[in-house]
Amino acid sequence: MSHPRHALDELLGHPVRFSITALLAAASKVEFSFVRDHVEVTDSMLSKQVSMLEQAGYVKVDKGFVGKRGRTWLSLTREGRRTFERHLGALREIAQGDGVGAAARPS
Amino acid sequence: MPNWQVNASLQVVSDSAPTPLEAQAALAEANSQAVRVHRTDHQLGWIVLGIAALYLAVGALMSTLPDPRRAGPVVGPALLAVMVVGLVGLVLAFLRVRAYSRTGILLYFGGVAVFNVWNAIVVGVSIGTRWWAASQPSYHFGISAAVGTIPLVVGAWLIWRR
Repeated sequence: MSHPRHALDELLGHPVRFSITALLAAASKVEFSFVRDHVEVTDSMLSKQVSMLEQAGYVKVDKGFVGKRGRTWLSLTREGRRTFERHLGALREIAQGDGVGAAARPS
Repeated sequence: MPNWQVNASLQVVSDSAPTPLEAQAALAEANSQAVRVHRTDHQLGWIVLGIAALYLAVGALMSTLPDPRRAGPVVGPALLAVMVVGLVGLVLAFLRVRAYSRTGILLYFGGVAVFNVWNAIVVGVSIGTRWWAASQPSYHFGISAAVGTIPLVVGAWLIWRR
């Protein structure tokens, strides 16, 4: 039987990327500033993390304008949603104690 | 450090997994982010209720008409003002939406679509049964408007209860 940690996604192991993905997973579309305010990161930090998620094919970025103001909308791709669900499933298994998470940690 | 030691260290690090407590904390974080999105969906509920309020205001103004065939000097401009202010308000409220869930937006558009169909039926029945007629009192417009907004109120309630 394989350990649930194998189903964890390396990219989502980062707390900020995990929070961004968790927020996007609950939504259809989210504006950049909303993610920034709720994940509590700077614009540059968010841009950096979103680019990584975008490169991995997890996040889709749409840019548009409302009058003269630019608005950037973020959404999870199908692949991103699937990966996040798998990651959450693994976390649930670990949280329930099905895995031997603590034992696998370096001392 | 020899290669085998570097490789062994990397192996140990990459094999690490969160503890059950860390996993629970991550799950709690995911849940709290989902709650935040659901909370912003409430804005859509307010917009739906705004459409209902706009329609009811028009119905209420029509109910004050002494003669349903003539708008009169006050009610006509008042209707126009309610429509313009209401529509601008709704557009501004919509522009302020920064996040929405799939279910939230489906309930929003679903509520508006059902309202259009239901309201057309209410108007059709009102005319067909002569509930709306020159000989009838003006408050019949208000009652029909109130009945017409039922899908919007239900839509707003469905969005809020999530």
